[in-house]
Amino acid sequence: MSRYEPLDDAADAVASRLPAPMGSLIDRERPLHFTFEGETYRGFAGDSIASALAAHGRLVLSRSFKYHRPRGALTLAGQDANTLVQLPDEPNVLADVRRLEDGLSVTGQNYSGSLDHDRDMRLGKFARFMPVGFYYRAFYKPRGAWKRWEPLIRRKAGLGRFDLDARGSYHDKAYLFTDVMVVGSGPAGLSAALTAAEGGARVLLVEQQPQLGGSLTYARFDIDGRRGERLRDELVSVVARHPSIRVMCDATCNGWFTDNYLPVIQGRRMFKVRAKECIVASGSFDQPAIFRNNDLPGVMLASAAQRLMRHYAVKPGRRAVVLTGNDDGYLAALDLHEQGIEVAALADMRPSPENPALAEALAAAGIPVRAEQTVYEALHDKSLHRVTGVELRRIVGTGDVADQGQRIDCDLLCMTAGYMPVYQLLCQAGGRLRYDDEAAEFSISGLPAHLHIAGSVNALHDLDRVSEDGVRAATEALRALGHDVPMPQRSAPAPRRVNHPWPIFPHPKGKAFVDFDEDLQIEDILNATRHGYRDVQLVKRFSTVGMGPSQGRHSALPTARLVARATDRSVSETGVTTARPPFTAETLGHLAGRGFDPFRLTPMHRRHEALGAHMMPAGHWRRPAYYPATDGSLARERCMQEEARQVREKVGMIDVSTLGGLEIRGPDAAEFINRLYTFGFLKQPVGRTRYAVMTSEQGVVIDDGVSCRLAEDHFYVTATTSGVTNVHRSMLQWNARWRLDVDIANVTSAFAAINLAGPLSRQVLETLCDDVDLSAEAFPYLELRTGHVAGIPARLLRVGFVGELGYEIHVPSRYGEALWDRLMEAGAAFGLRPFGVEAQRLLRLEKGHVIIGQDTDGMSHPEEIGLGWAVNRKKPFFVGRRAVDILAAQPQKRRLVGFRLPASSAKPREGQLVLEGETITGNVTSCEYSPTLGAVIGLAYAAPEKAAPGSQITLRVDGGQEITAEVVALPFFDPDNTRQEL
Amino acid sequence: MTTQNATTGLSRPPLNGLHAERPRVEWKQLGDAEIPARFSGPTDEGFRLDHCGLADLSALPRFGLRGPQAAAALAERGYRLPDEPNRCRIQDDGSRLARLSSTEYLLLGSLTDAGQRVSMTAQDWATLPPGCYSLPRQDSHAWLVLTGASTARVMAKLCGVDLDAAAFPAGHIAQTSVARIDAIVIRDALGELPCLHLLVDSASAAYLWPALLDAMQEFDGGPLGLDALLSPAAA
Repeated sequence: MSRYEPLDDAADAVASRLPAPMGSLIDRERPLHFTFEGETYRGFAGDSIASALAAHGRLVLSRSFKYHRPRGALTLAGQDANTLVQLPDEPNVLADVRRLEDGLSVTGQNYSGSLDHDRDMRLGKFARFMPVGFYYRAFYKPRGAWKRWEPLIRRKAGLGRFDLDARGSYHDKAYLFTDVMVVGSGPAGLSAALTAAEGGARVLLVEQQPQLGGSLTYARFDIDGRRGERLRDELVSVVARHPSIRVMCDATCNGWFTDNYLPVIQGRRMFKVRAKECIVASGSFDQPAIFRNNDLPGVMLASAAQRLMRHYAVKPGRRAVVLTGNDDGYLAALDLHEQGIEVAALADMRPSPENPALAEALAAAGIPVRAEQTVYEALHDKSLHRVTGVELRRIVGTGDVADQGQRIDCDLLCMTAGYMPVYQLLCQAGGRLRYDDEAAEFSISGLPAHLHIAGSVNALHDLDRVSEDGVRAATEALRALGHDVPMPQRSAPAPRRVNHPWPIFPHPKGKAFVDFDEDLQIEDILNATRHGYRDVQLVKRFSTVGMGPSQGRHSALPTARLVARATDRSVSETGVTTARPPFTAETLGHLAGRGFDPFRLTPMHRRHEALGAHMMPAGHWRRPAYYPATDGSLARERCMQEEARQVREKVGMIDVSTLGGLEIRGPDAAEFINRLYTFGFLKQPVGRTRYAVMTSEQGVVIDDGVSCRLAEDHFYVTATTSGVTNVHRSMLQWNARWRLDVDIANVTSAFAAINLAGPLSRQVLETLCDDVDLSAEAFPYLELRTGHVAGIPARLLRVGFVGELGYEIHVPSRYGEALWDRLMEAGAAFGLRPFGVEAQRLLRLEKGHVIIGQDTDGMSHPEEIGLGWAVNRKKPFFVGRRAVDILAAQPQKRRLVGFRLPASSAKPREGQLVLEGETITGNVTSCEYSPTLGAVIGLAYAAPEKAAPGSQITLRVDGGQEITAEVVALPFFDPDNTRQEL
Repeated sequence: MTTQNATTGLSRPPLNGLHAERPRVEWKQLGDAEIPARFSGPTDEGFRLDHCGLADLSALPRFGLRGPQAAAALAERGYRLPDEPNRCRIQDDGSRLARLSSTEYLLLGSLTDAGQRVSMTAQDWATLPPGCYSLPRQDSHAWLVLTGASTARVMAKLCGVDLDAAAFPAGHIAQTSVARIDAIVIRDALGELPCLHLLVDSASAAYLWPALLDAMQEFDGGPLGLDALLSPAAA
C-alpha cells in the first residue's frame, strides 16, 4: 500500500467497481479497451479516461509544468491541469472529462523518458535556483546568451505535441433563442428552470456534466445520505419531461456578452444563445488546502473522491484521511466509509463541526476525528507516485502548527477547505466580487439587468436555501419577462460557514503548492510581494499564478489571502484577478465554426468551366482570367495574347455580367445622376450613353461606369464589379438628404452582359438581331438601343472599353447562358472566341483606359489620372466638386502617364517604384507586353514634370534593377479611335 | 436570322446547372423554363417534405413593385395587400403578396397556376403608371423553399434571426442575412406543413444551395422536386 500498485489484471479492475447505485455515468454492459502509455486497460462506456485508469489503481496521469512532479486527478471535474494527456491528434486533453472510446490510444505528456520515470524530475532539486520570475532575469546576460538558451527553453516549454499534419474536423455554429437560459443544473438551476417553465417561459438549461443534478449527483447532504438523490430524482424527472425546457448536457456556457449573448459549446458546435433572461446557477468550486506535497497523486478534493465513487463506481483508495474546514468533509468521510474505504482519520481544522450530529455519526462509524488539526505534510516514497501517509499537526495559530505531529498511513487524502463561487460568467458581466473577511465568504453584486444569480454561487450552501434561491431567481426573470407572478417568501436565514479562513500551512522545505498548473508554492507568491508587487494583478503577471489551464480556479483565493497578509491588507482590499472569457479552453474550430465564404457566379459560369477557363476572383465573383490557347496550354501570357489578337483582328466576346447595374427612375432621375457624377447628364439624349466618373466628397475618383438614358426619366448606369455595392449605398445615402423623386435599384444580378468586340462583331450580331439597325449610321458609337438578340430582350450599348467596334449586350440574367450559346454558335463562322479578364485588361491598357482601383488609389483625383475631360466645370454641383476644384487649383504632385519599353526589356510589375534619383515619385499601376504594339507598355504615377511625351522615367524592377522608360502619349493604340467608332 | 421575343426554352434559372449534376434528377417544364420534378424517389422526398426538404422554385414567376403608387396599382388589380411591412398575404389564387416596406411589394407566383397570374401582371405592367417602379425579382433573386418540421433549426445554423414558428409565425417576413448573404425569408405553410421561402441574390444561389443542404444533413434533409410540392401532403 505504500506505493503505486497496479491491480493484477484488467478483470480485477472491472470486478473492483463499486456496486450500483454507484457509477451513475457508466454502462457496465459496454466494456471498452484502450491504451495508456502503451499498456492496455479496460473501462466502461461513460467512463472518463481518468476514472477508467483510477479503477486500475493508475493515478499518475501527467507531469507538472516546471518540476515534472507526478500528478493525478485533483477535481475529477475538468477544473485542473493535472489530468492533461495526449491523444494521437490532440494535445492537452483533460483526462477527467474526456469520455472513453474503444481503442483510444492515450499517452502522458511533458516528460523525458517515461511518464513513470521522468528524467526531468531532477529539476525539482534545483527549485530554489528557479524562484518565481527567474526567467525574467536569467538567460539574457551576457549579451546574446538568449539565443543559446532559447532553443532549450522552447523544447522544455509547453505540454502536449500538436500534430501539424492534422486536418481540421467539422465544426459549426447555431443560434439558439430562449426566454430564460439557466447555467448549471444543480439544485438551484433545476429549481430555477422548473419555476421559469411553469411560469410560462421557454427555458434552456445548460449543464457542463453529462447528467443533470450538479452536486446532487455526487455530494452527500445529510447523515442518512439519501436526501440529495431523492431531490435529484424528483426535480430531474419533471425537468426532463417538461415541454418548455430544453436540456443541454455536456454543454459549457463559455462566456457572457452584452445583452445575454451566450456562447455554449456542445460537442463540435458552438451555440450562440440569445436569452432574454439568464440565471447563473454555476455553483462553487471545492477548494484545496495548502500544505507540503499537497499535489501528490492520491491527494484530491473530497468532491473528486465522491465523483469517482458515485459517477464511476471507482474506489479512490483503500485507506483514507479526510482534511476538512467545513461540515462537508464529515459527509464525505461517511461516503468513503459506506463504500468500504477505511477512513483512518478526519482532521478538522476547526474546533468542532457546526452540526454536532456529524461528530456522533463519525464516532458511530469508528472514524477518529482530530479537531483543530491539519495535514502538515503529505508523505510519499521516492517515486512520488502516490501519497503514502500524512503528518497531522495541531493548529496553533493562523497558518501555524505545533512542533510535533502524528503520522498516519493512507493512500488517499481527501481535502475540502471551503468553496469558491464559480464567478467567472457573472464577473464577465460586470458583477463585483466582494469578500467578507469575517465569514471568509465571497459574494457577487452589481449584476446587469436580466442577469440573475442563484444557489451556492450566491453564497448559499444550505440545500433548502439553494433551492429557494433558484425559485427566487426564476421568479425575478419571469417578472422581467412581463409575467405577473408574486415573489416567493424567503425562509429564515440559516447561514452555514463553509470556508476555513486560513487553510494555508507553510513548511520549511516548501512544496506547498498554491497553483498546481504552474508549480507555484507559497514562497513564490510571497516572493512576488517582496519584489514590490502589491497588487494582485501584478502578482499574477509576475508569478503567472492563475494563468495556467485552470485559470485560478483553486489558486485565486489562496493567492489573494497570501498577498493580503503579506501587504497588511484584507482580502476584500486586495480582491482577486479579473475573469475574462472563455470560461474553459475552446478550440479554434469552435471559434471558426463552419466556414461561410460567399461567392457569386454569372449565368454563363458553367460555360466558362466547360471551356476549361482559368478562373480568378473579382470581389465575390469568379471570372474567367483566360481560356486555353489554341494548343491547349493555360500559360497566362500566351492565352491572353492570343485572345487579345483575336479581338483586334476578328471578334471576341467576354462575359461582363459582373459589371454593376443600377436603375435610376423617376422624374428627378437626370438631376440625381447629374449630382452624383462629374459629367453633365441633364442634357444627355435618350438613346445615348455617357462615361460617368464618381468622386468622393474629398474629390477622389471612387468609381466609373456608363450612364445609359433609356427614357427621359429612366437611366441604367453601370458601375465597377467591386464598387457597385458602395455606389448603390452611396446613392441611397445621398438621396436620403436630397429627397429627389427617384427610385434607385441595384439590378446587378438581374442582368447578364456580354461584350462582343472586334472588327467582325457587327457581322456576328447581325445574324441574331433583326429589330435593331446595327449599321454605323443608324447605331453609332456611344449610342444605346433596346431590341432582341436571338429573341432575347436586350439592351445594346456601343461602348469601346477595349478599343474596337463592340457591343455590350445586357439581357435578363435567366437568358444569359442562352445568349452566350447563341453568340458562340453565330460567331463560329467568324472565328469568334471568348476572351477573359486578362486579355480585356491588356486591350484597355493599349487604349490607355484606367481601371478604378487598379490605376487609382485613395488619393487619385480626376486631373492627375487624365480624366479632367470627364468633369463638367459649368454645372453648379456634383459630389466632390469643391474638393476637385481645390485639388485642380493646386500644383500637381504626380500624374498618371503612359510609358513604353522595348519588347526585350525587363517587364516592370504593378506596384514597382518610379524614381527620380533617390526620391520615389510614383509607382507602376498597370504593365503588360502588347503583341499589337510589339512593346512593353504601362501606366505609372510619375512627377508632373515627367508627364510630357518623350520624357524618361526610371523604374526599379525585380532585383533592384533600374530601367529607363519613355513616357508616351495615351492611348498607345489607335489614337484617333477609328476602330471603335467604325 | 432569329425572330424577336421568342424566349421559349431559353430561360435558365440560376440553379438548373447545379441540379443537372445530380445523377437521378428528372425535369419538368414550368412556364418557359425547366424545373426539377424529382431528385430521388417519392418516398424519400415525401419524408423530406415533412421533415427537412429544400426545393428550388426559381422557375416560378415573381415580380417586384415599388413606389408611392405601388399599393394602389396592386389593389386596382385585385390584390389584397398586407396591412403592414414585413408581412405576406396569401391571395385567392395561391400567389403570395409580400410587403417589404411601406412602399415595396413582392409578388410570388402560385404553384397551382404555374405563376400565370403573376406573370400576366408583370407583362401588363411593362409600362407602369407614374409612381410605380418594377423590380426584376425573377432575375435578381433565386427562390428556394425550405420545408418540414426542422426548418427553424436548420435556419438557426445560418441566420441570426429567431425563425421558430412561435416567434416568427406564418405570414411574417425577415429581411436578413443567411449564411452571410442577404435574404428575404417568409414563413408560410404548404397545407399543414411549415415552410420558409428564401429569396436570395440569384448570382449567389449556387453558393447558398449547398450551404443549406450541408446545414440540413443532421436532420436527414435533402433536395425536393416540384412533384413533392404538388403532392397531396403539401396541398
